[in-house]
Amino acid sequence: MNHGQQSGEAKHEDDAALTEFLASLMDYTPTIPDDLVEHYLAKSGFQCPDVRLIRLVAVATQKFVADVASDALQHCKARPAPVVKDKKQQKEKRLILTMEDLSKALREYGVNVKHPEYFADSPSTGMDPATREE
Amino acid sequence: MSGERAQEDLAASSSGCSESYEFSHAAAKAAVAQVCESVGYEHFKDPALESLAGFALQYILQLGKTAISFANLTGRSQCNVFDIILALEDLTGDGDDDGGGVSSESCSLGRSVKLKGIVDFVNSSEEMPFSQPLPRFPVAISKKKMMIPSFVEIGETPPGNHIPLWLPAFPDPHTYKETPMWIERASDPRGDKIEQARQRRKAERALLSLQRKLVCKISSGTRVWGDMDGVNEDEGELRSVPPSISGEKVESLNRDGLSVVEAFAPAMEAARDGFCSEVDTEWNKKKKPDALSKLRTEKKFLGEPLDLSLKMKGEDRPLSFVREEDRDDKRRRAEFILRQCMENPVDLNQL
Repeated sequence: MNHGQQSGEAKHEDDAALTEFLASLMDYTPTIPDDLVEHYLAKSGFQCPDVRLIRLVAVATQKFVADVASDALQHCKARPAPVVKDKKQQKEKRLILTMEDLSKALREYGVNVKHPEYFADSPSTGMDPATREE
Repeated sequence: MSGERAQEDLAASSSGCSESYEFSHAAAKAAVAQVCESVGYEHFKDPALESLAGFALQYILQLGKTAISFANLTGRSQCNVFDIILALEDLTGDGDDDGGGVSSESCSLGRSVKLKGIVDFVNSSEEMPFSQPLPRFPVAISKKKMMIPSFVEIGETPPGNHIPLWLPAFPDPHTYKETPMWIERASDPRGDKIEQARQRRKAERALLSLQRKLVCKISSGTRVWGDMDGVNEDEGELRSVPPSISGEKVESLNRDGLSVVEAFAPAMEAARDGFCSEVDTEWNKKKKPDALSKLRTEKKFLGEPLDLSLKMKGEDRPLSFVREEDRDDKRRRAEFILRQCMENPVDLNQL
């Protein structure tokens, strides 16, 4: 019984925290606009007049995109810097979102966006992947 | 920042697209670019940005689909927050140690890992709203107005019991059958009569003014003939012409003069009667033949006086909106001068 009571109390606390979080969502404006999210949710059959739920979905998507982008950024930074030709040129890396970084980042999320290689890129193109050294 | 520029270009190009899909896709691209910029990226390659935006949209769609399916499972048609939390767990629950099972306890904030992560994200990250103002879309083309109304909406009973009322109504018979077309003009006999009387009065007024001018020309003879000095010379020349021709001319003029005055005779009578002066009418009836004779003797040129009268009529048209006092005065003057002419026929012949 005690355990039930405790879990009951915990639930109340959780509910209160949830309510508080949803209220705080109204202050926070997600980067993805509400109209856009509402449009795509309506496409999938999701209908809700409550703006907070729309914002919740928007925030969740924003978090997802931010996570993927930050992972791709890590990959981009981790790549060795290009050869410096001029002495004046600093070791500045242009942070560009490329397909390579994106595909590496998305693989962790279970999405395969591997760009097919060009035929003449490397001598090992088109060979069986098991024999290739990665 | 070129990232910003790229984002602005995207937004600008998105506003020119007409298809709703392209517009929403472009807006999503702009939003995703903004998120990446907040993460730290400065530049984007277009294929990468496109695919990331596509993933974000797929994420939203999948989330919505899963959430609504959870709601439907419990017999609801509208989602609530717990459906969304469950959907979030469903999308990415592989990281959990307890087999990633969706349990009722994971609905709460305390248990749900994903939700905790979102809360932390909201608390930690900077608020960066969408930079471009987004219009309300999709723009509703008033398709409802284009829809054919049902029998119930029109208020018609369908022809036949087998047709339910909620079906769209049949088109009007004139759309598929040739029905007679009537241009119905509302007949207004009273209005027509009034209009007719008005037009008659107008014609009468015109005739009267013309007649008045003629009489004036006859009566105020000196003034008129004074203006026509050249014409008087022509009159002399005409006189020198063989008398047969002048005689013919005079005869034709007489004919013309006769026809003119005869035409005006009823109008004159009506005018005189209208003014209720019996003496005048008698006198005018007597004087008419004298006036005629005057016309014959004085007017030697063919049609000239008529032309004159017409010209004078044209010039005097603004004045021809006659006041009745003027008409009276002129008539009295005309009569007086005619009387004088009668008394002194010799003087006129000398002109």
